[in-house]
Amino acid sequence: MSPPSMMGPRDRGAVQMPRLLGRAALAAVILAYTVYTIGPFLWLATMSVRTTEEISRDHYAWPKTFHWEQFHQAWVGSNFATYFWNSALVVVAAVMVVTLVGAAAAHALARYRFRGNRLVYAVLFSSIVFPPQITLISLYQILVGYNLYNSLFGLTLVYISLQLPLTVYLLEGFFSRIPQDLFDAAKIDGYGDIEIFFRIVLPIGMPAISTALILNFIQLWNEFLFAVVLITDPEKRTLPIGIRSFMGENFQDIGMIAAGVMISVVPVILAYIFFSEKLIRGMTAGAVK
Amino acid sequence: MATVTLTNICKRYEGPSSQLAVDNVNLDIADGEFMVLLGPSGCGKSTTLRMIAGLESISSGALSIGGTQMNNIPAKDRDIAMVFQSYALYPHMSVAENLAFGLRRRNFPGAEIDRRVKSVAGTLGLEPLLARKPHALSGGQRQRVALGRAMVREPVVFLFDEPLSNLDAALRVNTRNELIRQHHRLRSTMVYVTHDQIEAMTMGTRICVMNGGKVAQVGKPLDVYWQPADTFVARFLGSPPMNLFPATLVSDAAGYRAQNEALATPLGLWDQQTLARASAGPITVGVRAEDLHLNREAFGTSSLGKVSGRTVAVEPLGAETLLLIETPAGECTARLPRSISVQPDENIDLFFSADAAYLFEGATGKAIFNDKPRALYPGQGLAQ
Ligand SMILES: Nc1ncnc2c1ncn2[C@@H]1O[C@H](COP(=O)(O)OP(=O)(O)O)[C@@H](O)[C@H]1O
Ligand SMILES: [Mg+2]
Repeated sequence: MSPPSMMGPRDRGAVQMPRLLGRAALAAVILAYTVYTIGPFLWLATMSVRTTEEISRDHYAWPKTFHWEQFHQAWVGSNFATYFWNSALVVVAAVMVVTLVGAAAAHALARYRFRGNRLVYAVLFSSIVFPPQITLISLYQILVGYNLYNSLFGLTLVYISLQLPLTVYLLEGFFSRIPQDLFDAAKIDGYGDIEIFFRIVLPIGMPAISTALILNFIQLWNEFLFAVVLITDPEKRTLPIGIRSFMGENFQDIGMIAAGVMISVVPVILAYIFFSEKLIRGMTAGAVK
Repeated sequence: MATVTLTNICKRYEGPSSQLAVDNVNLDIADGEFMVLLGPSGCGKSTTLRMIAGLESISSGALSIGGTQMNNIPAKDRDIAMVFQSYALYPHMSVAENLAFGLRRRNFPGAEIDRRVKSVAGTLGLEPLLARKPHALSGGQRQRVALGRAMVREPVVFLFDEPLSNLDAALRVNTRNELIRQHHRLRSTMVYVTHDQIEAMTMGTRICVMNGGKVAQVGKPLDVYWQPADTFVARFLGSPPMNLFPATLVSDAAGYRAQNEALATPLGLWDQQTLARASAGPITVGVRAEDLHLNREAFGTSSLGKVSGRTVAVEPLGAETLLLIETPAGECTARLPRSISVQPDENIDLFFSADAAYLFEGATGKAIFNDKPRALYPGQGLAQ
């Protein structure tokens, strides 16, 4: 409850008018941006349930009958399922390892004072600054050298190394703001370092961890460059490469392509819904003040 | 139940600063005692407490709890519990889970955990809050949960680090009384850190005043107030702080007097030999603000000291009035009845009983203890 205002209604109007205008302007910008980003996606979504014939008649029409069978056909009629599961395997494994190892490293950097702490941090940070493409050739050679070229396991390792620095950086910033008193209290309550990591740091760090999770998932799910260089076997293709060949196979069937692309987007949306920072923040509200 | 003994405890933090955060602290805390560590910010109170807790390593010296050497025992095995200034409640756990967290780790049977949580929640009035998360609690409620989390453990020593300083004034008084009550009920050893002299005076069985990492004085609250060991303690305890004036000892037919440009007082409480020894160097005279009076008639025939100066400020506080005067020997504050009428910028004399005077060595600030008891404080012996 707020205390009664000292201002009369007139003064209040005078104060609030500019604020209202500001809000309206902000809303307009957000609306424009939303249309700009959601528009193509909605268009794609409508096309995925229309046949190519319908689409060529009117590109932008709302679907009259929903041709859900296109999804089924895309899934079974080509290697789409293989690509999808390859991607799922590589990305889920990489994201899991990155999250766990990244969180542990971030916790160590944020909480423990040891010689070289800031040096490790600086090295990690510098690897975020440089574009990852410059490591492509050396990674290729390393993978060939260790017999990991053209293997999903090798690609998973590359993905882990690509995403780890940013994850550590992101989580370190958050973890270092968790009050030291919580760790001291847990220590006095009898918990050791490892237990404190799992029972205090991870639950309290959930908002940041979920952000890192979504970020890593989306980036790796859509990753094209490293996958196309490091995988040659068609059976081992991930979705971003697979979709290209899928497009080649169906190059006249726009509706089919749209259905395939929609399938590839679904996991990203699911990941976002499940790990949405807002959602998690609501569950752990008041964790860090 | 346990004693806590600190022997020559030092703490040097790693880093560029070579200064000792805690400097050769010796302290014997008796079983069931409520020991208050009191001092200004940065004097090493928290560091001392955290060394007792096992959260900070001990650079040198020995710590024992219940007669067992604890230097290298980890915090979790010391059987202590701590209440933090920030409360440090686990934000992702309910109140009940917060209370049970420490017991769970120690593998207490579920029924015993339930019993203890219920009993402590009952004592502290936390039952309606057990299902809530800390963010849905008020400051006072969080404080009680933090206290409860320590109590369910039934530790041999409770440690508190300024647990009341985040509460508003009214709640602070309530919680202070609650803590005193719990100490009487539990009879556990408690070590309590604060910078608030009222908390120290009202709660402590004994208080340990710290300054710059060193122990300045240990004693019962009133003993420390009446017989401060040095000028630091004299000024730190008491509000407004004790007035101090540099002065010299001069002797005439009537014996030794302390005097300077603004002040003169006979010294009835000290033997002639003591004063003769002290007269070799400069001294400091101390008078508490509440011992200063406007009219000499109040004293009858007893020997009087006098301070003269010019009034700078008159601060009516309602129950009493603070009078600030400027003298050639420094500023001086008097705590006078609310009925006085004094104007600013007026020449004025303030009187005090010679029994209210304190003497300190000018160079070191150490107290020159009186040889005869202070009649002003009946019932008190000579605390050293
Ligand atoms: N972790 C630390 N690292 C380095 N110096 C510290 C650390 N903690 C406290 N200090 C220093 O030690 C001294 C005592 O601090 P502290 O025990 O917290 O004082 P208090 O609790 O009495 O305010 C201060 O000078 C402080 O700057
Ligand atoms: Mg402190």
